Amino acid sequence: MSIKIGVGDFKERVHEELNNEFMRGAVRGAQERLRIKRLDEAEQLGNWEEWRSLGEEIRQHVLNHLDYYLYELSENVAKRGGHVFFARTSEEASQYVKEVVQKKKAKKVVKSKSMVTEEINLNSYLEEAGCEVIETDLGEYILQVDEDHPSHIVAPALHKNKNQIREVFKEKLHYSNTEKPEEITAFVRKHLRNEFLTADVGITGCNFAIAETGSITLVTNEGNADLVMSIPKTHIAVMGMERIVPTFEEMEVLVSLLCRSAVGHKLTSYVTAITGPREEGEADGPEEFHLVIVDNGRSDILGTEFQPVLQCIRCAACINVCPVYRHIGGHSYGSIYPGPIGAVLSPLLGGYEEYKELPYASSLCGACTEACPVKIPLHELLLKHRQVIVEREGKAPFSEKIMMKAFGLGASSDMLYGLGSRAAHSALKPFTKNARISKGPGPLKAWTKIREFPAPEKERFRDWFKNREGGKQS
Amino acid sequence: MKVSLFVTCLVDLFKTNVGKATVELLEHLGCEVDFPESQICCGQPSYNSGYVEETKDAMKHMIKTFEHSEYVVAPSGSCAFMFKEYPHIFKDDPIWEPKARELADKTYELTQFIVEVLGVEDVGAKMEGKATYHTSCHMTRLLGVKEAPIKLLRNVKGLEFTPLPGAHLCCGFGGTFSVKMGPISEQMVDEKVSNVESTGADYLISADCGCLMNIGGRMERQGKPIRVMHIAEVLNHRG
Amino acid sequence: MTGMIQNRTSFLENIAEKLGRNPITKGVHRPSYKHTPQYEVLKTATRDELVSVLASQCSNIHVQFMETTADHLAEQVKTAVRSYGGGPVSVWKDERYAEYGLTDLVEKEWPHEQTLVHVWNDDLGEENIRLSEKANVSIVFSDITLAESGTVVLFTGKNKGRSMTLLPKHFIALIPQSTLVPRMTQAAQIIREKIKKGEAVPSCIQFITGPSNSADIELSTVYGVHGPVKATYIVISDR
Repeated sequence: MSIKIGVGDFKERVHEELNNEFMRGAVRGAQERLRIKRLDEAEQLGNWEEWRSLGEEIRQHVLNHLDYYLYELSENVAKRGGHVFFARTSEEASQYVKEVVQKKKAKKVVKSKSMVTEEINLNSYLEEAGCEVIETDLGEYILQVDEDHPSHIVAPALHKNKNQIREVFKEKLHYSNTEKPEEITAFVRKHLRNEFLTADVGITGCNFAIAETGSITLVTNEGNADLVMSIPKTHIAVMGMERIVPTFEEMEVLVSLLCRSAVGHKLTSYVTAITGPREEGEADGPEEFHLVIVDNGRSDILGTEFQPVLQCIRCAACINVCPVYRHIGGHSYGSIYPGPIGAVLSPLLGGYEEYKELPYASSLCGACTEACPVKIPLHELLLKHRQVIVEREGKAPFSEKIMMKAFGLGASSDMLYGLGSRAAHSALKPFTKNARISKGPGPLKAWTKIREFPAPEKERFRDWFKNREGGKQS
Repeated sequence: MKVSLFVTCLVDLFKTNVGKATVELLEHLGCEVDFPESQICCGQPSYNSGYVEETKDAMKHMIKTFEHSEYVVAPSGSCAFMFKEYPHIFKDDPIWEPKARELADKTYELTQFIVEVLGVEDVGAKMEGKATYHTSCHMTRLLGVKEAPIKLLRNVKGLEFTPLPGAHLCCGFGGTFSVKMGPISEQMVDEKVSNVESTGADYLISADCGCLMNIGGRMERQGKPIRVMHIAEVLNHRG
Repeated sequence: MTGMIQNRTSFLENIAEKLGRNPITKGVHRPSYKHTPQYEVLKTATRDELVSVLASQCSNIHVQFMETTADHLAEQVKTAVRSYGGGPVSVWKDERYAEYGLTDLVEKEWPHEQTLVHVWNDDLGEENIRLSEKANVSIVFSDITLAESGTVVLFTGKNKGRSMTLLPKHFIALIPQSTLVPRMTQAAQIIREKIKKGEAVPSCIQFITGPSNSADIELSTVYGVHGPVKATYIVISDR
């Protein structure tokens, strides 16, 4: 199972990314644009808080009855002649897809964007089976050609500028036009059109499976998912097991929230509900349909205090408002899931050993929680991770543990606080100049690296109040 | 009206003028202010670092301190919010949850108290100059106090109030975040400083000392002339 | 023929266990949701108002909006196709073309002026895909039209290829005014009604909103990434 991307540790990646001027400008610009668009659409729609609450209700209901809805979904997919494979692990999922592809003697696979297929490393299994795998989402295609990783879950190539893209296409695909996005796009359209028409198998993700009808919903602006599922003879859809709704009526609510929150559109250009393989006599659509339902650690989140994170509809609204992501970009997180959702999900799917810094890479400003269309309390979950890291995982640094214990003692004892606070002024006197500390000791060292710190005053507020009381007429 | 001041540890040690201004302001508005002496710290620094058990004693200490208060007022959105978290932290504790809930229900941030409880929007303050206001994240998003400080500032005579671009962006304080994730915090505070500068303001005002120490400390290090003031100091300014 | 289901039992048992109970395979009903804002949108809009909303939304989604009556539909379609550079044209094998007076155009006029017309007919099998690929314009009737978002809903299936509207560079949707509803809420209800009556869900329902587009390169919107570059909606106002 691999959500992991990049090398080095968190601090190294952050250091590198902070120096990536283009990425930082691109992310700043994207955040501004997407945030405003989301807010505009929310205002136009009206009753946005009601919509969010409804989104939360729907997601919570489904999660609490997830086994039921997956049962219903699988029954209805099978009734329509589709095959369903339940995969506990990422290996099982990828192995199944590989076997289907091998059985079909497929040589070429076209794919539309799917985070869960990246999670399960699907492409490498397919390549092992001797298949050429072509990503058809424009952003994912650019990354595939450049052998790079996504930095955002909706706009994966956000960190790339058009000149970089032109260079890569020139080198790898003999592209000879300019860096204008229209020209690059026209080139990709022509190039990939042929791939759609000659592919043996189409693989998509699934934005929302619909239990009542055994349908899967695909949401794109490009329409590539529609071509992927309509032309090749076999269609395999891979879904995270929690990406399901009871009926079309819940699907439309979540799609409404998703499109506005992700890209500031009322609906994306293509929202397509597919039910089973083609019907008897139809001239396009797959002859064979497979639905792979992936657990890969999600069930371990159910029934725990982290269950709300499974409400996620992968809109990236949280990523688009995060002031930390704004500066460090997606690759810093070392996971295909970056930003606030990534900081909550990655330790759960990828382990604390690998991702223990992520919950601390947050000022708990709450912008993510405020933006989430299905009301996941993201910043609270980050705090919960910190509690787990400290209390259950025992992964907090020893020196910090000592300091916090001392803090806890000092903050609950009048005497200790009195001693400490009265001593603060004189203890820090050697570091003080003009009532400021510019090069502090211990915990003040990191602060004073870039900021002045006010020296503790000789007379604490409480002393002033007491003295004043004494002199005051009662 | 009897009000107990929850002055906050940052003010007690590093920004005593804010505490003094808060007391004088509340008295000017007709309140009788007392200061329960045993108060120390709301516990945020260790709680937000994930140390729940270690912080519970400190929280219980605060609950006991304000047990007999009618109103608890703090010149800090984040510390007032921390008191609102106490009932969730002590959930299912038959003794401490009800006590925590009582404390949470009677706690207010300063501007929230003035506007919502005292019903006052003009405190008679006077201060010349151009100012911009930093909306601290905990106060706006978590405590939900957005309008009160602006209403009060707009009524300060002589004060030219100009909105801050990028106000929704965190300044990078986040308590221990500012030292644990130094390089990231630095980028965030630099963007904030740049936005503050772009307003041409003489003063940066905020209702949270953590934010003020962060942004103010950075601006001082960079030799920028903009003065940071806590809203209590501005509202207590009468000439 | 029923499809195969593998590994379901242990998978679902695991989920139930994590949720602290036994697996459930029946008897769960959709709750009565506490919040229902979706029914409020364009609740009181008349048909004419919905047409206005649609027209206005078209300018936001890069769609050319035209309005006509059934009598003049053929003319307008001809004009639109000409504006896109002419044929070849792909249409579905669908009685509505005849119902709305397009037979002459499709069977006589266009062939007469050397504009190739491909009628998607299941009997042609895969050849349909190849012919649509070569077409310049696809023309289809909308089954349900969502005013709020400017969306045409297509129940594709027998003789109505799902890839037909994606392959050519230009897309024309013919919209009888009677197909207009406020938003997807009503479309979802209509679909569920059909299911309750025992109709099978179409194997592919497409909700299409304007031309294909992407903002993956520097967040700059470009059209016609894989699907059509341009789209026209023609509302037939007397049907």
